[in-house]
Amino acid sequence: MLPQSQILKENDPMQRPLLNEPVIYRVLFCKRNDAQYISHLDLQRTIMRVLSRAGIPMWYTEGFNPHPKVIFALPLSVGAESVCEFLDLKIARQISCEETKDLLNRQLTADMEVRDVYVPETKFTEIGWADYTVRCVWPGLDTVGEEQIVSFLQTSPVLVTKKSKSGPKTFDIVPLIGRISLSREDKQLVFRLRLSASENDYLNPELLLGALREQFELGPEDPAAETHTIMRDEVYFKNGTVFR
Amino acid sequence: MSETEKQAINRNTLLKSVDKPGRYSGGEYGQIIKDKDRVKARFAFLFPDTYEIGMSNLGVRILYGALNRFDDIWCERVYAPWVDMEDKMRQLGLPLTAHESKDPVRDFDFLGITLQYEMSYTNVLNCIDLSGIPHFACDRSEDDPLVIGGGPCAYNPEPVADFFDLFNIGEGEEMLPSIVHLYIEMKEEGRYTRKAFLHEAAATIQGVYVPSLYEVSYNADGTIAAYKPLYDDIPKSVRKQIVEDMDTAYFPEHVVMPYIETVHDRIMLEVFRGCIRGCRFCQAGIIYRPVREKTPECLDRQAKCLYDSTGYDEISLTSLAIDDYSQLDELTDQLMSWTNERKISLSLPSLRVDSFTKELMEKIVSVRTSSLTFAMEAGTQRLRDVINKNVTEEELMRAMNVAFTGGKSQVKLYFMQGLPTETQEDLAGIPALASRVLDLFYATPDRPKGKPPKVTISVSPFIPKPFTPFQWEPQDSLQTMRDKQDYIGQLVHDPKIRYEHHEAQICRIEAVLARGDRRIGRALELAQKKGFRFDAWSEHFDYDRWISVFREAGIDPDFYACRRWGTDEVLPWDVIDCGVSKAFLLREREKAYAQKTTPNCRQQCSGCGANKLGGVRSCCPKARS
Repeated sequence: MLPQSQILKENDPMQRPLLNEPVIYRVLFCKRNDAQYISHLDLQRTIMRVLSRAGIPMWYTEGFNPHPKVIFALPLSVGAESVCEFLDLKIARQISCEETKDLLNRQLTADMEVRDVYVPETKFTEIGWADYTVRCVWPGLDTVGEEQIVSFLQTSPVLVTKKSKSGPKTFDIVPLIGRISLSREDKQLVFRLRLSASENDYLNPELLLGALREQFELGPEDPAAETHTIMRDEVYFKNGTVFR
Repeated sequence: MSETEKQAINRNTLLKSVDKPGRYSGGEYGQIIKDKDRVKARFAFLFPDTYEIGMSNLGVRILYGALNRFDDIWCERVYAPWVDMEDKMRQLGLPLTAHESKDPVRDFDFLGITLQYEMSYTNVLNCIDLSGIPHFACDRSEDDPLVIGGGPCAYNPEPVADFFDLFNIGEGEEMLPSIVHLYIEMKEEGRYTRKAFLHEAAATIQGVYVPSLYEVSYNADGTIAAYKPLYDDIPKSVRKQIVEDMDTAYFPEHVVMPYIETVHDRIMLEVFRGCIRGCRFCQAGIIYRPVREKTPECLDRQAKCLYDSTGYDEISLTSLAIDDYSQLDELTDQLMSWTNERKISLSLPSLRVDSFTKELMEKIVSVRTSSLTFAMEAGTQRLRDVINKNVTEEELMRAMNVAFTGGKSQVKLYFMQGLPTETQEDLAGIPALASRVLDLFYATPDRPKGKPPKVTISVSPFIPKPFTPFQWEPQDSLQTMRDKQDYIGQLVHDPKIRYEHHEAQICRIEAVLARGDRRIGRALELAQKKGFRFDAWSEHFDYDRWISVFREAGIDPDFYACRRWGTDEVLPWDVIDCGVSKAFLLREREKAYAQKTTPNCRQQCSGCGANKLGGVRSCCPKARS
C-alpha cells in the first residue's frame, strides 16, 4: 500500500486560512559541499520545488502564469560555498517561522540546511560587505610572501575585468576590499577577506584570486595539484554590523 | 595530506575545471545512501549518456528504486562523463565512479547498462573501458563486475553481445532483483563462480540471456546458420519477462531530484505499458506487448505521492499513445481535482489525431508551450494504410480545427521517408498536407488573431527494426535518402512551413547496428579504441570514420542496412522471444503489401501471441486472465 499522501494529511498549511495581508519570511540557509556546484538559476528552480513539496503556503503572483514570489540576496558563483545565504518568501496563509524552518529542512539535504526563518526588518539593498575564507593550494604559492600579497592587494590600482551585459568592464578592486588577513595552515594559504557586496559594487572573490594568479604567475599547469575553496561566512551592513 | 584529503582536493579541482559540474557533484535530494559494509551486493546502474538525459529516464528511476528497496542491495547511478570530463579523467588516470558513493565502478558486483538507443553503443564500450573493466566478457576475471544489459535495444543484443555477461530481456522490476539475489545466494552458499552463476541464471530466471552460452554459426553467404545453446537446460529462445499487474508492480514513491535542469524535468506518470496499435515500422508497439493499464485510482495515488516527494509543477502522462488509455477522462478529472489549485499543469505527449478533442485540449491548455505535435508518418492515405497508422486526413483536419479554435497557432507533424512501397507521390504528399493544414488555419473563423501560424514538418528516414513487420525490409541507400530529403525540401515554398529532417548518415549507421549480429562487435571495439563516443550527438558523429572502421573490421554495412532479408533467414534476434510470433509479423508484412490495415487490439484480436505472457487489464479480448 502507498503511504498517506501529504495532500490528504491533516493540518495541511495549504488548507489553512488566508492571512489578511501576505507576509515576508526571510530564510537564512547554507550552500555547502556538493551544493556549491548548483548555479544560481538551478538554485532558483530547486527552491521552487522545495517550497512545493514542503507545502509552504506561498503567495502567488497574479496573471497568466502564476508563480510564488521569492527573492534571493547576493547570488553565489558556482564553486563557492556559503553558510550565509538569504532568501525572502511571500507567505499567504497562517504558518509560523519555526514550522516553516522545520518543513523546509525536511526537504533539503544537509548541504543546504536552513539555519533560521524570521520576519525581516531590513532590505537586501542595505547589504554592504561579505566575509569569505579562501583556502588555496597553488603550486608556486610557497615562494610568495604573505606581505607581498597583502601589499599588492592594498595598492591601487589592481585592475580586473569582468563580463557584464554591456560588454567587458575593467575596474580597480582595491577600494572594494574592506579587510584582508593571511595565514598559512599546513600547506594551505588561508585568506580572510571582507569584500564589497553592495548592489552596485559586488566583488566576486574569484576576480581577486584571478588578479593574484596573474601578478605572481601562479599557474594552473597541473590540474591535480592546484585548488582553492571559497566559503562565504557572514554578510554585513554598510556600517560593518552583521546583516540579518 | 592523507589519501582521502587528496581525493577530496582532486575531486573539487576536477569539478571546478569542467563545464556543468552539477552533472557530477551528486548529493541530490532523494539519492539513496547505504552502508557499503552492510549490503551484500553493489549494483552500478549506468545510463550511457549525459546526466541530463539519464536522469530523465523513467525506466532507470523505476529500477533504481526496485533494487534499492532490498536492504541487501545498494544500487547507485552512473552516467557517461561529457568529453571535457572524460579527457581530464584519462589524463589523471581516474576511473569511472558511481554517483552516490564516488567509488570506482570496477569494485562493484554488477555494472548494469541500459541500452536505449543504438547510437549509444560506443558510449557503452567507452564507459566499460573508463571503468577499467575488460571489454570482452570472456576476458573478465572472477573479481570483475558482472556486466548486465537491458532496455529496448536488448531485444537485439547481438551487436554488443560479446561485451556483456548477461542480458535482462523484458521488464526488470522483478527480474533484476532476482538476478542479484541469485548471486548473493550462491556467494553465501559458497558455490559461486562466474561461470556457474551465469549458467544457473540462464537456466532458472525467465528473461536472462547469457550470450556466451550460445554458439553462432554462419553460412557461406554471411547469413546466420544457427544458434546453438551449449547446455540442454537453457532456452533455445529467451522469452522476455513482464510485470503482469501494473497496479501492484513496484513503483518509486521517491525519486532523486536533480539540481541541474534535465531533459524531462517533471513528474512522469506511466499510465499503461504497451500499445494497442501495431504500426508496422514501430518496435515499441511490439516489444512492450501485451498492453497493461493502471487504474485511475492507482495513478491518482501515485501522482500525489510523486508530487509530495518532488514538488514538480508538471505531470506528464506518459505512454506510447496516451489517448488510447481506456479511462483518460476519469483519470484527468481525478487529477485536476487537486492539481489545479496547486498550479500543477498536465501534459500529454504522444497524442493521436483521431482522439484529440476539444475537452482534452481544454484539460491541457494550461501547458505553457504553444505548440502541439502529432505523428502522421506518411503523406498519403495509401501509405498510411501500408504502415497501419489508421489515421485519416479528415481526422487530422478535425484535430487541427480543435487546436486552432483553442488558440494554438503552431503545430508539428512527424513523418517518415523511405517506408516500404513509397512513391514520389507519397513524398510529395507531405508538404501538400502541410499546405492544407495552413489553409485550414486561415479558414478557421475562431483562429488566434495576430499570431502567425507555423506548421513544422519533421521527416525521418525509415530504419528497419527487429521485431517489426518491416524487419526484413531494406533501408534506402544513403544517396536515395538524401535525394528524397532534397525532393521534399524543393516542394516547400511557404515560409510558414518549416521543414526539418534527420541526418541521413546517422540513420544509416543506426540501421546497421539495429539489425547487427555478433560480428558487429569487432567494429564497435575498434571504434572505441579510435576514441568514438557520444555518437548520438551530431557534433561527435563522423560518418566517414564509421565507414572506415567497418572496412577495417571486414564488415559490409550494406549487408545489414540495405538488404532485403529473406523470410527464411535465421535472424540475429531469433534467440530472443518478445512474445509476439514471427508468423504474426509475416502476416502483417503481407497485409502491408496488400495495403490492408489491421484493427487495434481493443477492437479485435489479431493473434500476435503476446497474450500468452498474461497481463492484467490488458485490453486484449483473448487475454489469459
